[in-house]
Formats: sequence, structure tokens, C-alpha cells
Amino acid sequence: MSAVITPPESAATPPAGPLHQRIVWHLSRSPKRELWLAWATMLVFYNMFFPIFFIVAQVQPPPQPTWDHAMQVHWFNERHLGIPLGLGIIFAIGGMNSINNALIAYSMRRMSITRVFGYSYLIIYALSAIPGLYLLCIALIVGTLRPERNPEAIEWLYDFAFLSFDGTMGVFLIGSLIWMVAILIDKNRVFPKWFGYLNLCNALTELVVAPCWIFRRGVLAWNGQIAWWLDMVVFGVYQVTFIVMLFQMIRREDFGTGPLPDLPRKKKVAA
Amino acid sequence: MAVLADKTERARFIPGQADMWAFVLFESLVFTAYFGFYLFYRTQNPEAFLHSQAQLDLRVGVLNTLVLLLSSWSMARCVQSARAGAYQAALRDVYLTAFFGGVFLCVKVFEWARQIQLGNNFDTSDFFTYYFFLTGIHFVHLLIGFVVLGVAVYQLRSPARRSQQLVETCATYWHTVDFLWVLIFALLYVVR
Repeated sequence: MSAVITPPESAATPPAGPLHQRIVWHLSRSPKRELWLAWATMLVFYNMFFPIFFIVAQVQPPPQPTWDHAMQVHWFNERHLGIPLGLGIIFAIGGMNSINNALIAYSMRRMSITRVFGYSYLIIYALSAIPGLYLLCIALIVGTLRPERNPEAIEWLYDFAFLSFDGTMGVFLIGSLIWMVAILIDKNRVFPKWFGYLNLCNALTELVVAPCWIFRRGVLAWNGQIAWWLDMVVFGVYQVTFIVMLFQMIRREDFGTGPLPDLPRKKKVAA
Repeated sequence: MAVLADKTERARFIPGQADMWAFVLFESLVFTAYFGFYLFYRTQNPEAFLHSQAQLDLRVGVLNTLVLLLSSWSMARCVQSARAGAYQAALRDVYLTAFFGGVFLCVKVFEWARQIQLGNNFDTSDFFTYYFFLTGIHFVHLLIGFVVLGVAVYQLRSPARRSQQLVETCATYWHTVDFLWVLIFALLYVVR
């Protein structure tokens, strides 16, 4: 026989019961409801972000940098509905990204480090959204809406969109490094150290995108196997990891200033 | 029984933070992918790769490999000295490691300059794209290694700090950079 010992319930402890009851409790009475709302926003944003870019707008994976004018116009024409619809949705939900950044900055404020880290991260990611997301969307929509435009203008928009998206990863690189340093010097154990090192791995792969300014073909072009495909795999692993890490951080949050407590473990004892 | 317990303890011992080994694993996977792409494109056009590869000076590659292996040797000595409590000797070994690392970087820059003088740029051929890319990304890892050595020096200089675990974590990073170079050297210079 065995029995399960659970920690005593407090006002901050969700009641046991069905999932919907616990969700209602978290939304109405949990002191962490703002944090859960921010986390849920992050989850919704990324669950919409990738399907929109890959399936609705079909602007990712990026097309060939070497295509001539006729191929570029054909590419825009094939997406004359998808690009305005998909990227229009991105404009509508883009603000959610600031909540994601705020949650990550919050994780740094919970650490035993100066607030400069959190605020630097917020500023860098707020700025990086312009070249890394919005300029791509604007350029592609502009290219789609007027197919009869001057060929040189279409070619310019095509190059501008993908170079802006892929070629500005250096800004994200600095953001990853800030988070990495914050995690490694933190004494409050907000995140495990290996996650700090994973930030370094992510930063190093973002560095690898930089050669897309030079290459029009091969593995380092903006659609290359190393510059895009491998980086996307690393970013996917990194993104899923940081969403899980933030989830665990919120679960452990005690709104104190010292080390973040570990989650209580259910112990089995012989009865 | 005591011997068995000691053996079990040794078998379970991981030098430095276990977290750094996660980094080693992940970086090894990423570099394995880089090497995989290199080998795949090499099989597509072996003659062109061989022709470009012949323009590399094997002696420079061997020299750099020896220098980096020496740096790993001095870093291992640093860990041993720190374990024995000989912190001054450990500090000297870190400085020696940094010196060998510096020599490696200088030789690498010299080699790049020489290749560019010969007309072999980043986009001259597929081989030289990989050559500059792999040696370049390794160069960046080595630059980070100097920051890591700085952390080791910071730990060893003050009796109030001297975290053996952090010193070993720094050594793990440095050995990883060395290990990656040995693979890059084998692929770019030796495999024909």
C-alpha cells in the first residue's frame, strides 16, 4: 500500500479537480493570473505565427534569391491572397510579441541581477521586431498589391523583404546573449544554467545567418541549408524550451526576492 | 566494498557543471550538421573540392592543431593544479592556455590573409565557402573561449571565490573548442 503526501493547500494553491475548474480558479483568484495570461498570449502568438508564415502566406521557407523578375512576379501572383491575409493577421496580433518580451524581461527582474538586463532585452527586442518582422510584411504586401509595378521596384521589394528578415538576426543575437549572461550570473535559480548555454547556441546560429548578405546561392544564402534550415531547427528547439522554461518559472514563482523555490514533490511513503 | 564505492563515485563524477555538457552535446550536434553538409556537397563535386583543397598549406593546419592541443594540455594542467590547491600554478597555466590560443588566432588570421592574397575569397568556390565558414565560426568560439578563460582567472585570483566546479566548466568549454578544431582540421586539410 502506498499513500500520496501533498503539501497543505493555501490561498495561492489551485484546488484539486477537473482542468476547467482549475483554469477558472487561475483566471479569477490566482495571484499569478497576469503571468499566466502573458504566458498564454505567448503560446497563442507562436501557434499562430508559424502556420501563418508557412501555410497561409507561404512566404517561408524563403524563395530562391537568384530568381529573375518573371519568377519573382509569378511568386507574388501565386500569393496574391495569402500574403495580404496572412501578413495582415500578423499586423493584428504583432502586439502580442511585446507581452512575450515583457514576460522574458520579468524573468530577468526576478533574478538576482541588475534591472539593466531586463530593460536592455525589452528595448532590443522591441527594435528588432521592425527589421525582423514588420519590414518583411510591409515589403511583401506592397509587392503583392501592385503586380504591374515597375520591375525594378518589384525586385527591390523582394530582396529588401528577405534581407531584412534574415539579415538582421544580429539584433536577436544580442538579445539571446543578454538572457544568457543574466541566467549564468543569477543566484536565484530562476532557470537552470544549461538553458543559459542553450541561449549561447541559439546566438551562435543567428550569427551564421549574416553571410546571406554576400551569398545568392549555396548553404549560406538566405534560403540555404545552414543559414535558414539548420537555424530554423535550432530556433525551434530553443523556442519550445524557453516556453517550457517560462511555464516552470511561473509555477515556481513565489513573488519574493530570494531564490525561486523548487516545486513541491509528491512523495510516496509506505502506509 | 570501499574500492567498489570509490569506483562507482569515479564513474558518476562529471567534471564541472553538468549544464556545460548539455552545451557540448548541442554544439556537437550543430557542428555535425555543418560537417554533414560539407561532406554531402563534397561528394557532389569531389574534383573541384580537391583542387581547392590543394591550395591549403597542410603545415599551417598541423601547426595550428599542435598549438591548440598544447593549449588543451595547459588547461588540463590548470584543472589538476586547482584540484591540488596550487592556485598560482593554475593561474600560470590559464595564462599559458591564453597564450597558445592567441598564437592560434594569429596563425589563423595569417592563413586567411594568405588565402585572400592568392585570390581565394569567401565566395570563390564551394570549398572556400566552407573553409572560411567553418574556420570563422570556430574562430568565434575561440574568442568566446577567451571570455571563459577570463572567468577562470577571476575565480582563481581570489581565495574568496576559487570555485573548482567553475574552473572545470571553463576547461570543458576550452576542450570542446579544441575537439571541434581537430574535426575541422581533419575534414578541411587531411581528408582527400
